[in-house]
Amino acid sequence: MWASTSRTAMQFVADHRDHDKWWGLNQMKHGDLASMSNLDFLDKFYTNHVANFRRPKYNGPKNVNLYIHGDSYLYKMYMGDSVFAGVSSLYFIGWTSILHYHLDTTKRNIFIIEVSERLLREYYHTTKIIDEFHDTVETQGKTGVLRSAEQGQKYGSFIPGIISDNFFNKFINQNLQCNIFNYNWIKPMYGSKAALNYYLFDRASGDVIISKDKQYLLLRQTLVPVGNGSSLSPVSDDEISLLVNNFNEIYDYYRGTGFTEIYLSIIPNTATIVQPDGYNNLIPRVQNDPRLKMAVIDIYSVFKQTKEKVFLPGDTHWNNTGKQMWFDTVNKILVGK
Amino acid sequence: MTFNSLQFLVFFMVVTLWFFRLKSQKGRVWLLLVASCYFYMSFIPEYILILGGTIVIDYLAGFLIEKNTGSTRKFWLIISLIANIGALAVFKYYNFFIDNIHTGINFFGNKLSLPVLEMALPVGLSFHTFQAMSYTIEVYRGNQKAERNFVVYALYVMFYPQLVAGPIERPQNVLPQLKEFRGYNWDNVKEGLARMLWGFFKKVVIADRLAMVVDRTFAHTIESSSTALFIGAVFYSFQIYCDFSGYSDIALGAAKVMNIRLMENFNQPYLSRGIQEFWSRWHISLSSWFRDYLYIPLGGNRKGGLRRKFNVFIVFLLSGLWHGANWTFVIWGVLHGLLVILLAGKTIEKNRSFIYTACRVIVNFILVTFLWIFFRAENLGAAWEYIQRICSFIGGSNYIGIGGVEFVFSLMVIAIMMLRERYGKGFFIASNTRFYLYTAMMVLICYFFGVFAENQFIYFQF
Repeated sequence: MWASTSRTAMQFVADHRDHDKWWGLNQMKHGDLASMSNLDFLDKFYTNHVANFRRPKYNGPKNVNLYIHGDSYLYKMYMGDSVFAGVSSLYFIGWTSILHYHLDTTKRNIFIIEVSERLLREYYHTTKIIDEFHDTVETQGKTGVLRSAEQGQKYGSFIPGIISDNFFNKFINQNLQCNIFNYNWIKPMYGSKAALNYYLFDRASGDVIISKDKQYLLLRQTLVPVGNGSSLSPVSDDEISLLVNNFNEIYDYYRGTGFTEIYLSIIPNTATIVQPDGYNNLIPRVQNDPRLKMAVIDIYSVFKQTKEKVFLPGDTHWNNTGKQMWFDTVNKILVGK
Repeated sequence: MTFNSLQFLVFFMVVTLWFFRLKSQKGRVWLLLVASCYFYMSFIPEYILILGGTIVIDYLAGFLIEKNTGSTRKFWLIISLIANIGALAVFKYYNFFIDNIHTGINFFGNKLSLPVLEMALPVGLSFHTFQAMSYTIEVYRGNQKAERNFVVYALYVMFYPQLVAGPIERPQNVLPQLKEFRGYNWDNVKEGLARMLWGFFKKVVIADRLAMVVDRTFAHTIESSSTALFIGAVFYSFQIYCDFSGYSDIALGAAKVMNIRLMENFNQPYLSRGIQEFWSRWHISLSSWFRDYLYIPLGGNRKGGLRRKFNVFIVFLLSGLWHGANWTFVIWGVLHGLLVILLAGKTIEKNRSFIYTACRVIVNFILVTFLWIFFRAENLGAAWEYIQRICSFIGGSNYIGIGGVEFVFSLMVIAIMMLRERYGKGFFIASNTRFYLYTAMMVLICYFFGVFAENQFIYFQF
């Protein structure tokens, strides 16, 4: 039990567990949702991770330093500098990282804030987030390299850190699940339950829902009528104003530090595109708000118009086609000026 | 730490094994107290300070009540009641009170902004404060000696199986059991585990499955048909029963494993033939608490019919408010109170035909189901709209959140549950072989047919 509540112990487990051996079930191998729902035995939800992106046809000068503050949709492991036109240096900053940077004013310094729709309201609904956001770009350092930083959830001051870290962990059930039951030899049992639900009750388990057209697995969080991550939960005008105001503060901050262009790019939930009935219109309402100072990389409209499939069937993220469309949209901006 | 979590299963196993290894009751009491503290702190650690504060006050008040006589004795009882009701008033009702002041003032066109408390309601606050109050009241009445051992008293309030959702125990029942050393008893272990498994079955196989329908219909009231809404309401009746009584089964079972007998909280309430009978079968520990500590002190039925009706009304009003700081709970309580008052004296005739009895049971169930809509809805408007749409036989979406096969399966498990509780003979299984088979079967059923979405127990919010 302690091993599952202790941050240190869980870190040890994560570091030493070989995900291809009998005792290390690889949760993400076939797509996060397919794995979460244990429906990864179905080919229709299989995720192909192989990525081949087009190099842009561009022969002009490489005069752009591109900084992207993004999430798992754009993790650097799946892309490289070569997919962007005219970029001499690409800096990708994940949500839990800090960038030490020094702007080269002889080049175009472009900052893109990429956020997935299901995290948008959670990340940007308080000014506290902006403070954290500011901290992620540390202007004192001038090395231009990425450095990790932990942003762990701590309990209040009453409980000393060492106790909260080792005895009260809000992810203890997931950790116990991982330590006790997350082994390849138990996998058939999970699969049996998932198959029973799928074939008998026509549904997936737990946090995963099958789309109405049966083509996608969807994160339950994005389809329930409550919660910040949902495409259906109502968003008030006041909340839109708050989000726009927060983005404007971020815009002002980065303009003040020397960035010449700052863009906002919101990646829609799969549910927003493939099952839009009752959509709360969060993305268009933020993007089209006349008070928003940031320019927008509007992938929502691109996805709405295309006939192609842009999301992975068994994963929360987009497929290579969707990602390529995002690169193409960004490249139009990069070469357009 | 909810009962339907992996964390609880591991916790229960470790604590129970350790419990039986200890050879002195003092050690066991300490173990259970530390385990109960961890159990409570696993929700929000800081809130143990609130619980600890009321425990210290009530422990001291018990002493002082016993030691003194006359008005001083009464004074310390009042101090204890103020401490407990004060904790409820601040942490549970303050924001509700402020919201209503805001609404009232805004209604008259004025603007006022009073500070609100930005913190979550401490888990199980209503349960443990009521249990603590029963202790000081019983000491005041002379029915219970003040407990000298602080650890034992703290455990009486904090005993983890019933800490956050009851049953709301009485000191006469629990305190002696906490002080008596009882050796390992395989029969009790079997009975306790069998009951826990039954509780898990009701929670994960029935309640959390029905929750998919209930959540859907209550969230999509406007587009759903009357049929879908009616199904949603009926399923909510069974969801809340299986959720709450499932919790009680797990609590009673876990305590039984450790040789502690807690009071029964349910007795097949949906087989009641009238609303009065329903309240003698539903949440018995709360009903009897209100009867013993409010209804009877107010005069009960000893001061004439009108006063009796007033007393009943007050009890149900407060019972509604006890459940939550929302007008939906208040109205739910008031409506139950009015029904009990209006239907008083309609005694249940003996030797009536099965059909007559069945009709009464069904009518009473439908009545209770309609009242549950107030309990479940976000606000009064939503509840009223839900009821209106059911009664207007309106068309709309018949989708209820699950498919046809699962709907039939849900009805089937409800029927199994009702039959098991009606005709089953307790939870003790004499034969070891039958016990092992029962355990294996229930584990497999809970795993394969359980819905594991980490749903909290509904009554945790109270």
